[in-house]
Amino acid sequence: MVTMEGVRRTLGPGVVFQCDAFHAAPGERVALWGPSGCGKSTMLNLVSGLLRPHGGVVRVDGVDITGLSGSRLDAFRGRYGFIFQTFNLLSPFTSLQNVVLGMRFADVVPEKEWKTRATAMLARVRLGHRLHSRPGTLSVGERQRVAIARALVNRPKLIVADEPTGSLDPKTAESVMALLLELCAEEGVTLLLVTHDRAVAERLPRMHDCTELVKETVS
Amino acid sequence: MSLWHVAWNYLWNRKLTTAMTIISVALGVALISAVLTLREQTQKRFEEEGQAFDLVIGAKGNPLQLVLSTVYFLDAPTGNMSRADFEEIAKLEDVEAAFPLGMGDTFKGYRIVGTDRALMDFTWGDRRPYELEEGRYFEGVREAVIGAAVAQDTGLRVGSSFISTHGFVDMPGAHAHEDKPYTVVGVMRRSGTPNDRAIFCDMESVWDAHDHGGEEAEEHAHEHGEECDHDHEGVRADITAALVKLASPALRFEYKDRINKQYNAMAAVPVNEIQKLYEQLLGTAKAVLLAIGYLVVVISSMSILIGLYMSILQRRRDLAVMRALGATRGEIFGAVLIEAFWVTVLGIGVGWILGAVVCYGLGMYLVAKLGFHVSAVALGPDLVTAYSAVLLMGLVAGILPAWQAYRTDIARDLAEL
Repeated sequence: MVTMEGVRRTLGPGVVFQCDAFHAAPGERVALWGPSGCGKSTMLNLVSGLLRPHGGVVRVDGVDITGLSGSRLDAFRGRYGFIFQTFNLLSPFTSLQNVVLGMRFADVVPEKEWKTRATAMLARVRLGHRLHSRPGTLSVGERQRVAIARALVNRPKLIVADEPTGSLDPKTAESVMALLLELCAEEGVTLLLVTHDRAVAERLPRMHDCTELVKETVS
Repeated sequence: MSLWHVAWNYLWNRKLTTAMTIISVALGVALISAVLTLREQTQKRFEEEGQAFDLVIGAKGNPLQLVLSTVYFLDAPTGNMSRADFEEIAKLEDVEAAFPLGMGDTFKGYRIVGTDRALMDFTWGDRRPYELEEGRYFEGVREAVIGAAVAQDTGLRVGSSFISTHGFVDMPGAHAHEDKPYTVVGVMRRSGTPNDRAIFCDMESVWDAHDHGGEEAEEHAHEHGEECDHDHEGVRADITAALVKLASPALRFEYKDRINKQYNAMAAVPVNEIQKLYEQLLGTAKAVLLAIGYLVVVISSMSILIGLYMSILQRRRDLAVMRALGATRGEIFGAVLIEAFWVTVLGIGVGWILGAVVCYGLGMYLVAKLGFHVSAVALGPDLVTAYSAVLLMGLVAGILPAWQAYRTDIARDLAEL
């Protein structure tokens, strides 16, 4: 599902991200683990096309995304689901509207299905009673569940999650992780999850050590 | 969910800022609306009234003063002209109708106009500017028919009497013709014309009021002072002015030149004089007021630009999230431009309503002062052009913030904020 070969990206003077080889099979759930600043989020951004590599190849679902134009990459991003540490819900919109916007911009689901699919997805994350609540009125756990619903509603092939439990208390983090893993398993979706928390990483079937990704070069 | 909906939600999310921006646009639009509407409406009404008669004739002097004094009852007459000349002009081959006017007195500031009884039957198009609401037209000396505004303001009714005052200005100490009271025999229907502010009687009543003999005449002349501008000797030999209807409007300038050359009188084409007034004097005033209005709109456009720009800076993360969710750069650009569109359109809408309120207020004033009814909500071509220009300015103001949003660097904005 995801392949990185000889991927290189200069992050600053004398600082380089280098990933010689990485592979995640379809439906696989992989934790990208490492301490802060090790390059795991950069790896996630390269996989999702938010950053372009300065060398090497990134293949997602058989497509070399490094060769895609900006507009094609925008369209291709509809195949992903994103989950962020700080939720990144759009504050002027309700939970339902946030999930609908996930479909509206990805443009992979017919418009007539938007509302029913969003409602059903929010029910699956146990937020059927908060459809019309705005993010500011939700608890942090509820916000992350809305974000999970938004990420999964397009039935993406790949979910990229950047520290999804980083802003949650341990109890809430536990329930959110359980929900995320359960839904990804049910949907058969590939999950790349960035975390610095080894306990969280160990909950996933596979852990990829990212501690050696960023290197200092001698100029 | 359309981009229109997305843009609207972001505006709604910062209601106060949005409302202030809309109000600033609305103030400029209201000023532009009021200037254009009042200018268009008053010119239209002035020109409509000016079309009733092809020529006005009076003593030589300022043609605009002649028109304003005889058609709109707004200024002092230019003097008197010979009644014999009037009667000769009335018999010229293309003169369809000619009516003498005799002026010199007022009642509570409302002008008393002596004329022929036939003027009361005058119609043009489907308009009957002298139609009666109650009573009858004047038949004898010092019988008066009053306009609707006169009746409303003074409380005069059919059967009431009043004493006229000499001169065109209602001022304390002015000579009153106390021995020659008028009786109201009719009240005219409101016509939305200067006739609403006039009192009509026959010519004989005007002559009679000024026909003093011997010592009384001398005393009277002294009392008048500077306000007296007519000859008291042989008053029946003069009239103040005349209204003339020709067989065709195409003859206006031919007859104007002919009368100016052949008679000791001045002819003027009312609609022509009014157009000149608007072009020369009011045209400049309009240009200045419009410039102020557009300046306000330009400043408002700057507030749209600054408001949107600040908003874009504050929601760089939201824009980055939208891009991460699959929104194209074009969609982001469009959503911000739509916000500028909403603010401008709402500003135009509110401004149009504000402008209508201002026009309504000023329209009430114009009705009282000029007798003109002004439509407050007219949407003429000038206004449509002005609103289009304002909309264009609003959209132009939205381009820079939209471009800023277009250039969103997703990874940086998601990482930095």
